[in-house]
Amino acid sequence: MTPKFLPLCLLLVLLTLPARAQKVPVIEKTLSNGMRLLLLPRHDEPTVAGGWVAHVGSANERPGITGIAHLFEHMMFKGTPTLGTKDYKKDVEIINEQERVRDLMRQEESVMRTLWRRGEITDLLNPDTWTPRYKELQAQFKKLVDAQREILVKNEFDRVYTSNGGSQMNAYTSQDVTVYFITVPANKLELWMWMESGRLLAPVFREFYAERDVVFEERRMRTESTPTGRIEEAFWAMFWESHPYSWPVVGWPSDIPAISKKQADEFYALYYAPQNLTTVLVGDFDPDQATALAEKYFGRIPRGKEAAPDVVTLEIKQPAEKRMNGEADTNPQVDIMWHTPAFGHKDTYPLAVLAQLLSTRTGRLYKGLVLGSKVATEAYAQQHAMRWASLFNVGGEVTDGKTPADLEAGLLAEIEKIKTTEVPPEELQKVKNNFAAGEYRKLSNNHAIMQALLRYDGLGRWQEINEAGPKLQAVTAADVKRVAETYLTKDNRNIASIVRKTGKNASEDPDLAGLSPQQLPAVRQFLGRLAEEKNVEALKARLKQMEEQSAKADAKNQQFLTILKKKTAERIAELEKK
Amino acid sequence: MKQTRILALLACSVAALGANAADIPDRPEKLKYPALNYSPPDAKQFRVALKAGPVAYVVPDRELPLVNIFILVRTGDYLDPVGKEGLAGITGYLLARGGTKSKTAEDLEERLAFLAASLNSAVGDTQGSVSLNLLSKDLDEGFAILREMLTAPRFQDDKLALRKQQSLQAMKQRNDDAADIEQRERRYLAYGEGFYFNRHSTQASLESLTRADLEGFHKRWFHPKNFVVAVNGDFEAAAMTARLEKLFAAWPFTGEVPPPVPTERKFAAPGVYLVNKEVNQGRVTILLPGIQRDDPDFPATQVMNDILGGGGFTSRIMNRVRSDEGLAYSAGSGFPGGVYHPMSFLAAFQSKSRTVAYATSIVLEEMRKIATETVTDEELNTTKKQFIETFPQTFATKRQVAGTLAGDEFTGRFAKEPDYWRNYRSKIDAVTKADVQRVAKKFLTPDKVVILVVGTKEEILKGHPDHPVKLESLGGGRLVDQPLRDPLTMKPVTK
Repeated sequence: MTPKFLPLCLLLVLLTLPARAQKVPVIEKTLSNGMRLLLLPRHDEPTVAGGWVAHVGSANERPGITGIAHLFEHMMFKGTPTLGTKDYKKDVEIINEQERVRDLMRQEESVMRTLWRRGEITDLLNPDTWTPRYKELQAQFKKLVDAQREILVKNEFDRVYTSNGGSQMNAYTSQDVTVYFITVPANKLELWMWMESGRLLAPVFREFYAERDVVFEERRMRTESTPTGRIEEAFWAMFWESHPYSWPVVGWPSDIPAISKKQADEFYALYYAPQNLTTVLVGDFDPDQATALAEKYFGRIPRGKEAAPDVVTLEIKQPAEKRMNGEADTNPQVDIMWHTPAFGHKDTYPLAVLAQLLSTRTGRLYKGLVLGSKVATEAYAQQHAMRWASLFNVGGEVTDGKTPADLEAGLLAEIEKIKTTEVPPEELQKVKNNFAAGEYRKLSNNHAIMQALLRYDGLGRWQEINEAGPKLQAVTAADVKRVAETYLTKDNRNIASIVRKTGKNASEDPDLAGLSPQQLPAVRQFLGRLAEEKNVEALKARLKQMEEQSAKADAKNQQFLTILKKKTAERIAELEKK
Repeated sequence: MKQTRILALLACSVAALGANAADIPDRPEKLKYPALNYSPPDAKQFRVALKAGPVAYVVPDRELPLVNIFILVRTGDYLDPVGKEGLAGITGYLLARGGTKSKTAEDLEERLAFLAASLNSAVGDTQGSVSLNLLSKDLDEGFAILREMLTAPRFQDDKLALRKQQSLQAMKQRNDDAADIEQRERRYLAYGEGFYFNRHSTQASLESLTRADLEGFHKRWFHPKNFVVAVNGDFEAAAMTARLEKLFAAWPFTGEVPPPVPTERKFAAPGVYLVNKEVNQGRVTILLPGIQRDDPDFPATQVMNDILGGGGFTSRIMNRVRSDEGLAYSAGSGFPGGVYHPMSFLAAFQSKSRTVAYATSIVLEEMRKIATETVTDEELNTTKKQFIETFPQTFATKRQVAGTLAGDEFTGRFAKEPDYWRNYRSKIDAVTKADVQRVAKKFLTPDKVVILVVGTKEEILKGHPDHPVKLESLGGGRLVDQPLRDPLTMKPVTK
């Protein structure tokens, strides 16, 4: 077998660490309409991993339509004039009629929002509180949905891929990009071209309104019904003061149901124009033939009239430390974020090295805070690089008996050490060795390489796949110290300190609230045994013993015994009732 | 893969005949593809019965200077002694992270990190695993570390204390996330309180664990006669086989062969089991007793389940619950064939509290429908083609080749059905519409349905004004309040 990516000097390289970065020989082409192609032939697996990135994310939105970029990710699977319907003409008529009714519903929604502001409606999402007019329009709309269903060919886009051996089909939206991808058998490259160019050329946003409900369920699932989802969302929104990164990718709950199809059409024309897209193919194909096929299929999409606008608003310099104290159904934890420069800035690389120095079981945070002072049970660090602005993040879970303040102090002390003393050479080399080995590990399969190229192109420069390695190897101890001093400052930081919510959670018995962490386990064990005990007489005898002990006990143990007595008495009553 | 490369070239010449947009057909069915012939790897080509005991699958691949070794171990949580629940898991975790005879945990981890090598160990329900991924230049040192870790682990006291603390704190989160509660209660309802899946660690069992317990567990099961090995990467096969012989030779202790995995299950009485947890979206799982993967009906159940809810956007449950009604983001079903005993069928989704009952009724309706009416030709063909056309992906990388073949050796499938992969596509292709309906009727029995719901009871029971379905009526009229469990004892919390 012949090596694919290895330079001829491989043997020399392996004699000394760090290993040199591997060049990934990507072929870059631009189609006549401005769409870019990144091609990487790789004949190991009989597949082609294909994807494309639209350079649009939630950062391109504005208040009122937050979540629209993500909604597109869903709508792009709904088909074309030929895929997804039995009767396109009728389909269009119904879609237009649906829009007419929806316009009326939007007017009524505006009325209901006024009622809500006055306090006459408590929850806009509760169907019981909708106005009679709105309910009537809703019923009209439902009839149109039923009519459309008659001529729908459900999820035909998926069905075509599925029956042709497509796999790993999915898509994601971030603040910066929307990415679509799939893996097809190597002989089905032309199908991929047909399908992807077809949905870009003439997407039909049918089932638009049902899909908004799906997105709302996605928001409930990911954000609203998880223990820390809303806290994380709020912390994120607090972190970004002026930048459009502040709102969530999934959108604000008020905006998701308010987005109209007209807004969606305008958004599409601007951001899904071919000059705003890059396609990536990795796998078993010939690059010249793939380019010709791409020109034939994607080349028919007309260039967009306007270039997508730049994101103008910059994150304003933070004037003072910001802090959030929250309660949630979770163990106590601390999360700290600092503003750092956007992807492509030279300081990104020392910051990435710093994050690695702090992370993992042999990193500074674990050694210092989990093994050393034992204020944390877990700790993490990362440089989260994004297209328009980035952040550096550390945090961890607080050990029982310690407080979030202890952990916060510990985390900040580790950061201070980085600022005052340069990292020793051996420690820096360890981190660099891992980046070097990662250069090989990232090349394990077609799909993973495609994802990396899509990600880097989305951030602004696909060449990063080849350039990041040498830049990381070139980072010095002085660089690490300097970026810590520059960015990890008090005024630039945001701290979220979370403690466990008391009372409401069923796992927290309010009777046990006043006990110390040392007493709690004993009480819980006692309660476990108590629940198993069925002998009433034995329990009564034990209760009597406790009463005698209680008379002699000091104040601290008094409270402890009071709980045991109370619980024992309750168990006796429960057994006697049966 | 020489063959596929030639085929790819053919494909290209066909396409080159007309690179003109006017030739683009209006339907994808009109596209023509060159044939893609694919044969799965032949296990015998890679299988080596080592003199030292284990069977190994040795798969060379010189593309990158990396080696990956994966050792499967016949052990599992099911071997936890009573009162010592959690022992297998902690032993598995600390084996690679608690140091070795000659190296403290700190020195070992530091050295591995410097080599950018990744060493891991774990014990799950019915198997243990040890893995090492490293640069091929470090093979000598890596294998020496692996040998010492497997034969003389240190299980350092401070690392045990830390792991106990981490586990205890993780235990306290057991009721925090509705998804975790649902996962856990599924297994209680589908397999019974006494089944090995449901023997969770408790604060008491965790606190009772000592280093001697860990050493005993390790010496009892971590022996070459309980190992199956998968290795792939940058080496010559013969040289790697010699390395493996040396790795497993002259084991310093004898070990035991573990007893069979228990199979005695107890499926809950039919009904709706509702766990009250204050969240704005209810999580629903519909359960039925399932199937074992060597059952002759297994291929037909795979096809049936794919049409019903396993096939993502092409499946009926996804179409109805998500695409038609917008009632859920994720909705589907699973029919995993158990290796040692039947594994339950399940259908699951999450929906806002008020539409939980309605969405549940839709899923039940689809389950009834697939058992009473035949599926369409189009559905059957889509599903069969999907299984058949994506089949090569099972062995897409050399790591998957070694891992899948070793897995078959470990679970006994290779011994029992050596041609399993060669026959896989023809068995799927042989499934008929009648088979689909027959297995649906046999396994999707409405009178046995158990429905688990986790969410805000009050809101869920209200239902939705547009859809007058009552949750209580769906489980044969039986609504059971399923209590939360105390996270530290796992005893039900009675209010």
